[in-house]
Amino acid sequence: MEACVLVVDDDREIVRAIALLLEKEGYRVLRAYDGMEALRVLGEQSVQLIIMDVMMPRLDGLSAMMKIRERKNLPIIVLSAKTEDTDKILGLSMGADDYVAKPFHPQELAARVKSQLRRYTMLGGIHAQHEADEIVNGRLCYRIQERTLYVDGEPVRLTATETKIMELLMRNRGRIFPAEEIYERVWEEPSFAPENTVMVHIRHIREKIELNPKEPEYVKVVWGIGYKMEKM
Amino acid sequence: MDTRWKKCKVVCSFLVFLAGVTMLAVNLVPAVGIYLALGGEVLDGQQVDYQESREFRNLISGRLSDLLSVATGGKTAIFSDGYGYYSMEESGYRDWLDRKLNEVTVTQEAVTEQADDYQQVLEDVQRHRQEEYEAYLAEYGIAAKEEEPDWYVDSGAGYGYGYDTEWTLNDYMADMAHNKNIRYAVVYQDKLLYTNIEAYEGQMQTTWDKTDFYSALSSEEYNFSLWYNRQGDGKVQIVKDGQEVDVYGDGIYGDDSQWYVPGYANFTLGDSAKDAVVFIAAAKEPQLYLVGDYAGYGVDEYGGSLYYMKLQRTALYQAFQQIGSCLIASVILLALAALLHKSKRLAEQKIAAVSGKIFLELKIFIFLFGLFLLAGKSADVLSEAFWKISNGFSSQFCWSGDITYEVSRMLKAGGYLAAFYWLIYLAVLDWKGNRKAQKKPLISLLRTKDFKYPIQKRLVRRQRIALLIEIAILFMAGTAASVMCLLHETASVYVEYEAWEWAYSGEYGGCFGFDRVVVVIAVVALAVLLAFMMIDICTLRRNRRLAEDIGALADQIRAVREGNLTTDLQLSEDTDLQEAAQNLNEIQKGMEAALREQVKSERMKVDLVTNVSHDIKTPLTSIVSYVELLRQEQDLPEHVKEFIQILGEKSERLRNIVQDVFEVSKATAGQLPMKMEILDMGKLLRQTLADMNGQIVQSSFTMKVVIPETPVPVLADGQRLYRVFQNLLQNALYYSLEGSRIFLTLTEEGGLVIVRMKNTSSVELTDSKDFTERFVRGDESRTDGGSGLGLSIAKSFTQACGGDLTVETDADLFTVTVSFRKAEAVPSVEEESREA
Repeated sequence: MEACVLVVDDDREIVRAIALLLEKEGYRVLRAYDGMEALRVLGEQSVQLIIMDVMMPRLDGLSAMMKIRERKNLPIIVLSAKTEDTDKILGLSMGADDYVAKPFHPQELAARVKSQLRRYTMLGGIHAQHEADEIVNGRLCYRIQERTLYVDGEPVRLTATETKIMELLMRNRGRIFPAEEIYERVWEEPSFAPENTVMVHIRHIREKIELNPKEPEYVKVVWGIGYKMEKM
Repeated sequence: MDTRWKKCKVVCSFLVFLAGVTMLAVNLVPAVGIYLALGGEVLDGQQVDYQESREFRNLISGRLSDLLSVATGGKTAIFSDGYGYYSMEESGYRDWLDRKLNEVTVTQEAVTEQADDYQQVLEDVQRHRQEEYEAYLAEYGIAAKEEEPDWYVDSGAGYGYGYDTEWTLNDYMADMAHNKNIRYAVVYQDKLLYTNIEAYEGQMQTTWDKTDFYSALSSEEYNFSLWYNRQGDGKVQIVKDGQEVDVYGDGIYGDDSQWYVPGYANFTLGDSAKDAVVFIAAAKEPQLYLVGDYAGYGVDEYGGSLYYMKLQRTALYQAFQQIGSCLIASVILLALAALLHKSKRLAEQKIAAVSGKIFLELKIFIFLFGLFLLAGKSADVLSEAFWKISNGFSSQFCWSGDITYEVSRMLKAGGYLAAFYWLIYLAVLDWKGNRKAQKKPLISLLRTKDFKYPIQKRLVRRQRIALLIEIAILFMAGTAASVMCLLHETASVYVEYEAWEWAYSGEYGGCFGFDRVVVVIAVVALAVLLAFMMIDICTLRRNRRLAEDIGALADQIRAVREGNLTTDLQLSEDTDLQEAAQNLNEIQKGMEAALREQVKSERMKVDLVTNVSHDIKTPLTSIVSYVELLRQEQDLPEHVKEFIQILGEKSERLRNIVQDVFEVSKATAGQLPMKMEILDMGKLLRQTLADMNGQIVQSSFTMKVVIPETPVPVLADGQRLYRVFQNLLQNALYYSLEGSRIFLTLTEEGGLVIVRMKNTSSVELTDSKDFTERFVRGDESRTDGGSGLGLSIAKSFTQACGGDLTVETDADLFTVTVSFRKAEAVPSVEEESREA
């Protein structure tokens, strides 16, 4: 079954570009150019995901999102030229599942759409039960027995060291680990200037699990202190 | 050890100097005095011969004249005992008469020369005296006494009157008889009249056989002998220790002649003395001869004059020896002090430093008070000493005759001199040492204390002090006036008494009038002073309000400086400072308006940048998207693909620039949200390097990193600081000379955490360029790559974190210095994560 994505933006060129991009990825794309239109389309068609701009005429993105959230539980990705943290927080707290700042990289948007859809269809809405021996954090799920990390429900191939680091971080989400501690607990030997070694592995992990490795959402650096797994 | 010795040396040198100067000053006065008293022979170091003194010569010549007088029959004369104390001050009617009679000077010579005439005159004088005495008695109704008073005339030896006690010839001869220190014999007209030489006592009143009286005496016991008129030439012959003494010198009696005896060309005797021969011998070691007369006065003492003369001279000599050795010691000490003059100077500097800490007024007071006290205490002693030194110090003239007492007085004078010296020495030392940095007086202390108070209190306080001083002056003046009045009252009572005594009446009223004038003046003066004080109190009250207003004004100015621009200063309408207050209020309003304007324009600027960047982002999104779509097109020619590649890079760069411009404008406007926390700068740098390791490895540069292992805590926003160092590193990687090294060091310098990055520029650097300005690049021609905002962002982010970033260029060496204030400590990771 082809997933149907609704793209809402008052800038027709952007809508068209996104539509083209997603159609190449194999999605069915519906278009709308303001909030009211989006609501109308939603009422007529079955949609699995919405990509929506914030600033639009007639009905802006945030208001439209609130109305949608009254009836539907589908994932919404908000697009905005407002890149400040406060704008992101506002968007996410009003019901958005993801926030992509303009100008975005098309491949990143595609990856996010894919991620959101997989979670919605496979995990989120459909089977929400958790097994006891797995640690779930946002898109990530670590199954302790299997020693495997699943991203959006799909297993990721990690090296042994990477798996150890991920297990440490997933077990202690939110806690900051200095590089020395990570080194000592993973390599099990005293550390000397471990930043480089740890960083190399973290970079590799990021490339495998993050949607945009340059702006990581999960494995983060706490500058001047250490590293941590963001608690989602 | 060395410094201790040095300290010891300094103290010692000064002590030596102190002792030397003090000893010198104390002993110099008595030394000079005694030297003058004893004459040059004291310096010979021989035992003093009492016979070489003026006292001795005077005594012997006095005795000679006494004995001559005895020989020639001057029976009424009273005799000198050789000391010749004046007793003119004795009160009483008799003295008064004596003074009246002094017009007639009676001398021995006159008596002997013109015996007849003189006897007549003497009788006249005596009769006259008798009459006056009787008249005096009659006037006071006192019955004339039975006994006639024994009038006396001068002995002629030039020493004036003798003792108050009236001596008769017999008393005198008795005294002479007991006094074995002086042996004598008197011969008149070849008849031995008197002698106290045992061998001749039996021959008294018999004819003298011209034998030498001296032969009957032991020459060891009596080393001094005097003959008068032995050869019938009327001359005196003195033999001492077997040697004849030159009595007459050039034969003319003058001030410098030693012996006051007849025989000079200008000192002859009358005919009656031609028949007299006198022999006198003096003992070498005089002693006391005591005779117990228990029926009379107890024990009588004879021969004291020579005995005490000798004793005193010996004592004086011993005192001189001691004082002399003290002087020598003091000179040695002073020489030592001169050798140690460097240490002494150090000691003096120390003393000056100590005295420099004392307030000037106190020092002046102490100095003047000391001077005054010393002057008062030492005036009589010193003047006596100087009189003695200038007029010749002689034990003969000592009133008490106690030589040790005299020496002690001289020593006391020396002590005062020393005290004067030290007082002035300290004053000069202080003046020289602290001339420039004189400790400011007590008044300045009051003044500095003054500044602790707010201005209104200060003003009131000052006036209050002035008022208090006025009251004090008033009180003092009042007291002084009343004391003066009281004194004047006493004085006027005395004057009244005098007036009554001498003029009986009339003066009383005048005196009272004068007194009344003084009282009236005093009362008027007091009233005027009181009036002044009342005026002062009134002005003080009025000025207090002014002071309060000034204080309010000062407070308001401070409030404005601290940024409170909203509250106006409200002073009452009639105050002097109303206008000043209004002006201040207007300035305040102007400032407030300007500030509001500035804030508004800052906000507008940020809003503008935000809007513009927002408006750029939307079209940019389309560009980026369509470039991506183009890139995905398959069957495109190679050169088109290349164009697309360029489009992609440029759109990416445009995206970066927009983001950077937005951030830098927010940071400079101070609107960047910051999350400040304490972090380890060393760790942050290592993380940044690790993060950029890929780039560094790929580049041709070598990183030389020096970061201490120990935590270096700073308070900053980690994310922003990461951007700072990321930008700096990227900058270095981008602009450095191929194959060169990049140096990164982290140091702590006096409470500051300093990160320095040095790299060699690949292009020539222009000195005057400020690289932290927006869109400034080292190489103007370069257009690809960064936004030109890297250093600008780094600087504004650093400043937003509370640090500072400076750029220096030295030829091609490019140095960036980031400095932060060091924070207290790094919090443990556990604590941090618990919060998270």
